[in-house]
Parts: sequence; C-alpha cells; structure tokens
Amino acid sequence: MTAPAVVTAPSVATSRPAPRRSVASWLLFGAIAVYLLLPMLAVMLYAFATVWQARILPDGYTFDHFATVFTEPRIVAAIARSLVLSFVVTLLDIVIVLPAAYWSRVRNKRIRPLIEVGAAIPFVLPFLVIAFGIDRLVGMVTPSFQNTIWILILGQAAVAFPFLYWSVDGAMSAAGIERLSEAAETCGARPRQIVWRIVIPSIRVGIVTGSILVFATTFGEFSLAQVLVGAGFETLPLWQADALLQTTGRFNDLAATTILSFGLLVVLAAVLVWWGRGQTAQAVPGGGVRVGGR
Amino acid sequence: MAGVTLQGVTKRFGTVTALDHIDIQLRSGELLALLGPSGCGKTTLLRSVAGLEHPDSGAILIGDRDMSAVPTRERPIGMVFQNYALFPNLTIRQNIAFPLEVRKRPASAIRSRVAEMLELCRLETQADRYPNQVSGGQAQRCALGRALAPSPDVLLLDEPLSALDALVRVRLRDEIRRVQQLVKTTALYVTHDQSEAMAIADRVAVMNHGRVEQLASPAELYEEPDTPFAATFVGARNALELPVVSGRVRLGAAFDVSAPGPAQTRALAFFRPEDVVVEDAATAGQPATIDLKVFLGSTTRLHLRTVLDTGSYLYQADVPSRLAQRFEQGDIVSVVVDPAHVRTFPTMIEEET
Repeated sequence: MTAPAVVTAPSVATSRPAPRRSVASWLLFGAIAVYLLLPMLAVMLYAFATVWQARILPDGYTFDHFATVFTEPRIVAAIARSLVLSFVVTLLDIVIVLPAAYWSRVRNKRIRPLIEVGAAIPFVLPFLVIAFGIDRLVGMVTPSFQNTIWILILGQAAVAFPFLYWSVDGAMSAAGIERLSEAAETCGARPRQIVWRIVIPSIRVGIVTGSILVFATTFGEFSLAQVLVGAGFETLPLWQADALLQTTGRFNDLAATTILSFGLLVVLAAVLVWWGRGQTAQAVPGGGVRVGGR
Repeated sequence: MAGVTLQGVTKRFGTVTALDHIDIQLRSGELLALLGPSGCGKTTLLRSVAGLEHPDSGAILIGDRDMSAVPTRERPIGMVFQNYALFPNLTIRQNIAFPLEVRKRPASAIRSRVAEMLELCRLETQADRYPNQVSGGQAQRCALGRALAPSPDVLLLDEPLSALDALVRVRLRDEIRRVQQLVKTTALYVTHDQSEAMAIADRVAVMNHGRVEQLASPAELYEEPDTPFAATFVGARNALELPVVSGRVRLGAAFDVSAPGPAQTRALAFFRPEDVVVEDAATAGQPATIDLKVFLGSTTRLHLRTVLDTGSYLYQADVPSRLAQRFEQGDIVSVVVDPAHVRTFPTMIEEET
C-alpha cells in the first residue's frame, strides 16, 4: 500500500478515512494511457504483422521485417550513421555546454542572457528555417563546407544544445554550484579539481538527462539532415522518409525501424539513468549508513 | 597561529560603498565577531579575507604576509558557510578529507587527521552518511571539521547558525566556541544576532554602512556603547528623544542626567529595560501607566507610558516576575532609573539652533 496521506494536500480540517482514488481519476488515467500507448502498440503490431488489412488484428505474425532491416545494407548503414552522428553531437554539446553553463554561473553572470537567448532559438524557429539559414550562410562564407558531415554535426549540435543547457543549468542551480565552488576554493582546490571532483559529480543527473534528450533529438531529426547533407549522408529518418515515398510502400519495414529506434532510446535512457542515479538514489532521509562512494 | 590585520580596506559596488576604510587588528587565537544589520558590509569583509572578494584599496595581512596577490586556494584559511555548502556527492568523512586530499597530504596523515576531526566535531557515527542524510546541526559541524582539517591560521564563519532551529543554534554556538578554543585558531565570525556575538566572541566589531562603529569586548559594548547605533543594536534598549533644559536631560522625576554636548536642544537617552526600577505609585519617582504586561518567564516586561508637558514617552521595563505579580495592566506605577545607567547622545539629526 502507498501512503495516501503524503500525497493529499495538507488539509487539516477534513479527516476522511482511507482516501482512495476516485473512479473519475482512474478513467482519466486510462484515457491518457490509451491515447499515448495505442499508436505505439499499433506500430509494434505492424512491425510484426504478415498481412494487416481486412481484420481488426493482423492475420499472422513474423520476424521477417526485422530480419530485412538487419540484413539490408542500406538500412544498417543508415542506423549506424544516425548512431555515430547522435553520439558525436551529444559529446560535442557536453564539451561546449558544460563549461559555458558553469562559467555563466560562477565567473561571468553577464553572459547568461546571451546563452539563454541562444538556447531559446531552436524552440522558436522551425528546424527547417534554421537548416536553410545555416545552408545559405555556409554557402556564402565557406562554400567548401557545404554538404559535408561537419556542417551537419555543427548544425545538429546547435539546435539540440538547449536541452542539455536547461537541464544542466537547472541541476547547477539546485546544487548551489556557486557556493560549492567557493567552498571548494576555500578548501584549497584548484579549478580542475573543483570541476572534476565537485561540480560534475553534483550535477551528474542533469548531464545524463540532458544528454539523453540531445541524443534522442539528433537521432530522430529530419529537417537539418535533409537540407544540409541529404542523400550524401543518409540517416535513419532520411531512409524512413524515402521508404515512405516509394510506390511499393515498405510500411512494415518502416514500423520495424521505428520500433528499433524507440527501443534503442528506451534502453539507452534506462542505462544512463541507472548509471546516473548515483548519490541521488542514496538520498533516503534517515536511511541506513552506507559505506563510502567510489 | 597568526593574527589578521585589516588596513584601510575599502570596497565599492558601483556607487555603494560596502567597506569604508576598515581597520581591524585580530589578535592570534582571538574570536572576533562582525556584528551588524544586513548590508552593513560584514559579509563582504569576511569574503575579502577569504579572497572571494577583492577590495579596491587597503591591505589584508594574515600573520605578516600580505594577501592581496594570494588566491583563495593558497590562503591559510578555513571557511564555514551559512548554508553548510557541503559537497553532496561526498560523505561526511570524504567532505572533511577533501581539503587534505586536494593539498596532496599523505594518505595515512589524512586518515588520522580526519578521524581526529570526526571526534572533535562529534560526528563518528555519521561519518559515512551523505550530507542530505544528516541534520542541519550535524551538517554544520561537518562544515566546521572540513574548515579546520588543514589546520588553517584563520577560521572564517559566515552566519553559521542562521539556517538552524533556535535550540540547535545555541548548542552549536557553544560547540563552535569550544572547538575554536581547543584548536586555538584565530576566528572571524559574521552574525546579525547580537546575543550570538556577545556569547561567542572575545571582541565584537559593530558595523554599520561599511564602517566599524565600535570595537570592544562584549561587556564593554553592553555597558558603554560609543554610538547611538551601537547602543540600539546591542541589547534591547529604550531610546527616548528628550529636550535639553539648561544642560540637563530629564524624564520627569525618573532620571536627570547632564546633556551630551553644548548647544543642543534635544538629546537621545538610552537605558535598559532591566535598569528601570518600578515601584508602587505611592513612592517617589515618575508616574507611568502600564500599557501592556508580557510574561517572559523569570522576568516580566512592562510597556510603560509617561506623559509630560513635552510629550508622551513610551519605554519598557523588565521586572522580576514575582514582583510584577502585584501590577496589573492599566495600573499607575512609579518609575526611577539610576542616572549611572542612562547614556545620552546628541540627536542623530543635528538641529539648526
């Protein structure tokens, strides 16, 4: 049993015995669950279906579509490209955003407005607009970089960085990173020791959360990949778009790749969250004595 | 051990002067409290000693070494912050070990020093917990242990008790004093709570508007405040603005003292509630009405009102509760204050005469 008293608002006057969730709240919960899960379930069924046309449920089930996905070199290559791209972009964002966020809090608060405006742009402008903007700018300034993977990496890093920035900045604020840095300084720590031994460990959850978001954004991003490089570097979303437009319509294979990329992100998120839970999981008030960390 | 010398330390933030030529000499092993309201510059001064703020002019010496070119991490200091500032990813033990580890002390020395600190701060049973698993008092004791672990010349404490409950506050205050005297380190202690400053410090510097108004022992400060600000800030005091008549300041028949200076038409008179003697109305003295009676335990505070032809004066008297039993709200009593316990100052705003 859960402890409902903790959940309910601090109502002192009313003393209802054993409060339980009302039927309406269960109905609402069910409706939202169906709304969110039904499309996923449908895609999943489609990925395993032999023929699914005349009846409510597929006529039969098969692993053939997954076999196709894993054996067709073009799809495997697209998945590999997407993985590498997402990984590089995530790393790049971590390397750029962490120092910037830290600097903006501890050393120079005046650069904060600049970063915040930059971090709002990808939420305001459609990626397609940004993509054409980048393409035109690169075409004018450094034409040799046009249609290269480097432009794609930089562009993706630019549109995905706000996810990392906001979660890292929030984690820094929650940890009180300015005060911790000062405390470490009075302890005699050098800047490098402060960053590696205090700052990064105390905002680890924020880094992990933000990185997952950056990775997922890049993995599923279509507009920039299409505009900046296109067929020259076919990522999974580009292959999916292509498969959708083909007259033969490879819908089952599409569903299989969708399930694959979704499953990949779920596993990745689970691994990173498990790894990143660190001391947060040990934050059990009055919990037993635990013998030191690493 | 080393003392601390502050010479003409000045710091401005834009147009605001946070520190205005501060001169303080801390003796070796002394605990000096910086006392004042928020915004008086006391925290800025402390942070300047730590190297977290950089004064515009003036010098800060620890021992006889000028600190102006020395970065925080190389200063011989330990600091305790208001909200503990413990490292959340390290246990209590690891927090205390941190300043020793970053200074690359040998592992065996670290182990024995940490054990010593855990014992000194009474944290042996909490040693392997994380900061969010211990109470506020334990967290601040850990911060104290962390600050003292590398045996700093100077211990800096920035309102270390203000985040704690009243009960824990008093206990930890005495604890900090005990530890500081045991390790004989020079300490600078920032607080806005005058009773805290009085209880813990060898000397108190009362600060206001970036200046030191008075630097004295707690007893001296309590008995003989130099300025009206020091007088009001230290201890609950009655402050009455009274007319000066032929060089004398009077509150009816309650007291009659000489004026603070010549050519004044008004003066400020300070006296403590506990120095007001309250008797039955029949006795000689100045009649006063009891507006309010507040039971405080061993004493009872009477809010008194005296009406003279120069105006109506409100002040307070602390009376032993057993004596106060015979007075009721609304009663008229007779009031006398020993002139030796009345301090007068020129009014803060000088009047044109």
